[in-house]
Parts: sequence; C-alpha cells; structure tokens
Amino acid sequence: MNALLKFSDMIDGLNGLVGRYVKWLILAAVLVSAGNATSRYILNIASNAMLELQWYLFAAVFTLAAGYVLKVNEHVRIDVMSQRMSPRTRNWIDFWGFLLFVLPVTLYITLQSIPNLIETYQNQEVSANAGGLLRWPVRLMIPVGFGLLFIQALSELIKRWAYLKGLIEDPLAKGGHATVDMDDQKESV
Amino acid sequence: MEFLTDNIAPIMFGSLIFFLLSGFPVAFSLAANGILFALIGHELGLLDWVLLQAIPERIYGIMQNDTLLAIPFFTFMGIILQRSGMAEDLLESAGQLFGGVAGGLGYAVILVGALLAATTGVVAASVISMGLISLPVMMRYRYHYPTAAGLLTGAGSLAQIIPPSLVLIVLADVLSVSVKDAYTGALFPALMVVGFLLLYMFVLSILKPEMVPPLPEDARTLKGSELYISVLTAMLPPIVLIFLVLGTIFIGWATPTEGGAMGAVGALLLAIARRRLTWEVVKGALDSTTKLSTFVMFILVGSSIFALSFRAVNGDIWIEHLFSFIPGGELGFVLFVSLLVFVLGFFIDFFEIAFILMPLIGPVAVSMDINMIWFLVLVGLNMSMSFLTPPFGFALFYLRSVAPKQDYQDEVTGGLVHGMKTQDIYKGAIPFILIMLLSLSLVIIFPEIVTYNLDAPLDVDLDTIEIQLDGGGDGSDDPWGSEASDPWAN
Repeated sequence: MNALLKFSDMIDGLNGLVGRYVKWLILAAVLVSAGNATSRYILNIASNAMLELQWYLFAAVFTLAAGYVLKVNEHVRIDVMSQRMSPRTRNWIDFWGFLLFVLPVTLYITLQSIPNLIETYQNQEVSANAGGLLRWPVRLMIPVGFGLLFIQALSELIKRWAYLKGLIEDPLAKGGHATVDMDDQKESV
Repeated sequence: MEFLTDNIAPIMFGSLIFFLLSGFPVAFSLAANGILFALIGHELGLLDWVLLQAIPERIYGIMQNDTLLAIPFFTFMGIILQRSGMAEDLLESAGQLFGGVAGGLGYAVILVGALLAATTGVVAASVISMGLISLPVMMRYRYHYPTAAGLLTGAGSLAQIIPPSLVLIVLADVLSVSVKDAYTGALFPALMVVGFLLLYMFVLSILKPEMVPPLPEDARTLKGSELYISVLTAMLPPIVLIFLVLGTIFIGWATPTEGGAMGAVGALLLAIARRRLTWEVVKGALDSTTKLSTFVMFILVGSSIFALSFRAVNGDIWIEHLFSFIPGGELGFVLFVSLLVFVLGFFIDFFEIAFILMPLIGPVAVSMDINMIWFLVLVGLNMSMSFLTPPFGFALFYLRSVAPKQDYQDEVTGGLVHGMKTQDIYKGAIPFILIMLLSLSLVIIFPEIVTYNLDAPLDVDLDTIEIQLDGGGDGSDDPWGSEASDPWAN
C-alpha cells in the first residue's frame, strides 16, 4: 500500500507541476486574441496563424489541466444528495466510478487518438486556412491530456482505497463546487 | 430484454440522473453513460460500437470552438476586475451622489450592479464586491435588512442577463445562434429589468421611506464639483471596458471572443494603473480560470460523448415525443421549459443546464419554429431568477459568504450593528424574484421586446458561423467532420 501511495504522490506531483505552468497559456491566449483584434483594425494585418494560435493555447490549457483539476477535486459535482451521504459512501462511489468508467474511458480515448496523431505528423498536416498552423501539436494534446487524466484517475483510485482502509484523511473534504475563487476577499470580513 | 430494447433512451436518461445525483463528477457521469450505453446498445444490436471511434474527433472539434474561448477570457477578466477595486470606487461615488435622498444607496447599488454586469458578468464577483462595500454602509445607516440583501443579490444577478454575460455566450453556442444576436436580443429585456428595479426602489422610498433612509449629512463628505469629479473619474474605467467588450463587437471591430480578451487586457491595465496588480493576484486569477474553464470544457466533452450514444439509440426522438404530450403548443412548451430551467437552477449551475438540458430541448424548440433568440433570452431570465430563489439560489450563497452574521461594533458611528440573518437574505429576495417574474411574463407575452432589434436581416458574420454543438450526431453525420480544416472527415 505504501508503495502505491508513493506512486500516487508522484502522479499528484506531476499533475501539480503541469497545473502550475499550463495556466500561463491563458494569459498568452488573452494577449494573442486581443492583439488579433487590435492589429486587424488598426494595422489592417490579419494572420490565420495567430487566429489559430488562440484556440491552440486554450485547447492546451483545458486538455493538459484536466488531470490537475481532478487532483484538486474541481471537476464539478452535483451535491444535492451526496452532501447527506457519509464520507465513506462518497469515497466508495468515486472508487467504483473511477475504476469502472474513468480509467477505461480515458485509456480508450488516449489510445484511440494516437493513430490520427501519427498520420497527421507523418503527413505534416497543415491547416486548410492560408498561413495556418501545423496540426500535429494540437492533436498531440488529446493523448497527452487524456493520458495525464488517466494517471490522475489512477492516483485518485489509490487515494480512495487508502481512505477506505483508514490510511489517509478524506481526499474529498475539499472542492467539488463551481466557485470563482474570491477567498482572500472573504478573509477580510 | 425486449423491454430494455424498447426503452433504452429513457433508461439511459434515468441512468444519467442516477449518476449525477450520486455526486460523481458531472463530466465523467456524462462520458460514462455515453460509453456504457454504446456498449449496451451494441449488445442489443441497436448500434455499432465503432461509433465510439468518433470520440477523439469530437474532442478535437470542441478544441476548435472559438466562441467558448470567451469562458476563460471573461472569467479571468471578472477576477482581475474584482481585485482592481473598480467596484469600490463606483459604489463610493454613486453612494455619495444619490446618498442624500431616500433609497439613494439602493439606486447606487442597482446602477453599479448594471455597470459591473455590462463589463464582465460574473455574478459571484458582482455580489461579493458590492456586498463587501455597500452592505456595511447600509447596515450602519439602518436600511431594512431584507431590502438591503435583496438589492445586492438582485442587482448582482443582473450579470446573468446583461450582455456580455457568459450565460448568453454559452446558450448562444449550444442553441446555434450568433452571440451578437443573443446580445442584441437580451439588451432590451435587461434594460427593462434594470428599469423595474429602479422603479421599485422609487416606490419604496415614497411608501416606506424608513426602510431605505438617506445617508446623514456627515456621511456625505464630497460636495459640489468635488463630487462630480469623483463620479466622472469612477465612471471612466467601466465605460472604457464596456466599449472594449461590447462596443467593439457592435461596431464590428472584434468578435465576441476577442471582446472578452480586450476586456481582460483592459482590466489588467486598470489594475496596474491602480497599483493593485501583484504577481500573486495574476497567478491566483489564472489558476481559478484554469480550473473553471477546464471543468466546463470537460462537461462539454462528456456531454458530446453522451449525445453520441443518446442519438444513436434515438433518444432525440424520444425527447421530442415526450414534449409532444405537453398541451398548449408553443406557449405550453415555453412555460414548461421555463419551469424546468427554474427548478433545475436551484440545484445545478448554469453550465450543466446549458450543456446537458439545452442540447436536448433546443432541437424541439427549433422543430416548433420558435424564435431561438427569444427562447434563449427566456432561458437566461429563468436562470437569473433561479439564482435569486431561496433556499438554493447561488447569489444568496455569495451574499451569505460576505454578510456579517454576528452583531458588531460599527467603527464609524460606534453603535451596535446587528448581524444579518440568513432569513433576512431569503426574505429580501422575494420582491426581486417577483420583478424578474414580471419581466419574464412580459417577454413571453410581448416577444417583440426581444425581437424588435433583430428584424433587420441577420448579419452574416464569418466569425460566428462555426460548427456548433447540436447535441451530437449519429457518427456518420459528425457535425464537426465537415470542418474545412479537418482532414479527418468521414
């Protein structure tokens, strides 16, 4: 069990690291998108590459961060009923859900997306828009993102099991809600 | 077995509800049911599970969606704006401007709420910043507590319906209409709600002035030209931001998505100018934005996997069939949908309503020949209303999180101020819910309130014609497969 928990820690560390860096791409997307609108109307310059870059960046954020968001338990849940369940029941639900559904589905998507990626790479597929970008980097995001989600689901599975065995604190004590984080404001009251 | 074959769509739907209520993450519940029922359907000979091979292509289609880029942009902008202290300045000077008359602080809150809503439209940000700034002042000068609470939650919920709200963008995307049309259609109804709120305040100040007292003389420190200068300085940033996010769209400089990005840059510059921008603030805002937009996009990924199988087992036909039982034709349908959205809005956030419910009922509305912009605005108004409704309304939670619960010693007057009870927040919302209900009824009775502006032939804008989430296809007719830039069609 200890070795498994160590493994789970390693995965958490990896996705934590991804989360720490990938968020900056949002700022990049903001700047690229605002720059596109400005340059189109002030300088009369439009670039398909830049137009595509903005969704490349956001696509990278939400695919790569999926594992990180799972780690911090921010994939939103509907808790009308579950808030009345015991922490053990909630962990059991997650345990079976991850084992039976999330792991197979994410693995399937990861593997299923690879042939496309290889073909796009070999053909050096380029966007149909004039001056558009190479396609394989954005195609790469699907297997990498879902791969990260797969290993995070594995880590969550280990943590649920460890909790049910009484080895660690409740991993579901935090998160699960759709909130825009305004915490420092709350503290000032 | 035959029972299963005949009723697979309702069973699939029931199973989804079971998963959702179990508290399992929404995105994974949707995806799990999609895959599970593709396998069951395959066993029953209803579909070929090869269908599932379309999933990576669908995810790729979602990645290409430009419209939904507005989600991170507006979320990021909302958080930065809240940190920039713009709302504080606005409330401060508006409070001074209107403070002298009964109900003055109320007008200030409503107008500032409308301005905040027109810049970014994140309800949490509006309610929390206004609650932090105005609530202590209102409590100090003995405003009727429920009225003070209702004002803040009511004005904060305006963010849902006043363009450029995220609700409108997301609904436009799932209902396949252009964001610009959604903005245009929502504009009058939104102004109407603001007008009703102001009118209510005015009536209250005449009938029950003791509930909404004016600020005492010594609390109004700014006078004459000093006051007007402070009002004008405070108004400048929101006006510039409104131009960046809305003006640029209407004059054709930017797409709605780019408007969001321009607004975010504007908010950053504002925060820098006011020396409120620290590295920590930016990092925190980016982190929150990443979390929110990732879970939203994954709900969309899950819902498109669900839709893939649901369509394949003829779930869409089942849904349409169900709706045909509702009496009253178009009106009956609209009332039923309103009620459904309103009730669901108590329990789940609007992203789930938009991505789970709308792809199912949108096509029904289309088949009934209902004006989709009007339909969209009705759904938006319903969502605002359910945000306000006790005991689960989200706006009420946000206010509760910043309203003082305990009695406290006021620092200005030195008097004892009683804490605000949750009951006060609930009670205060009622008149504002009624105002929303009135507006909603008017929009249903007079659809022209929405469509008046839209009569001109639709502006064909290349940026808004894109492949929309239509609730899925049957695999062979993949709605994203036809994307010109996609070499993987077929």
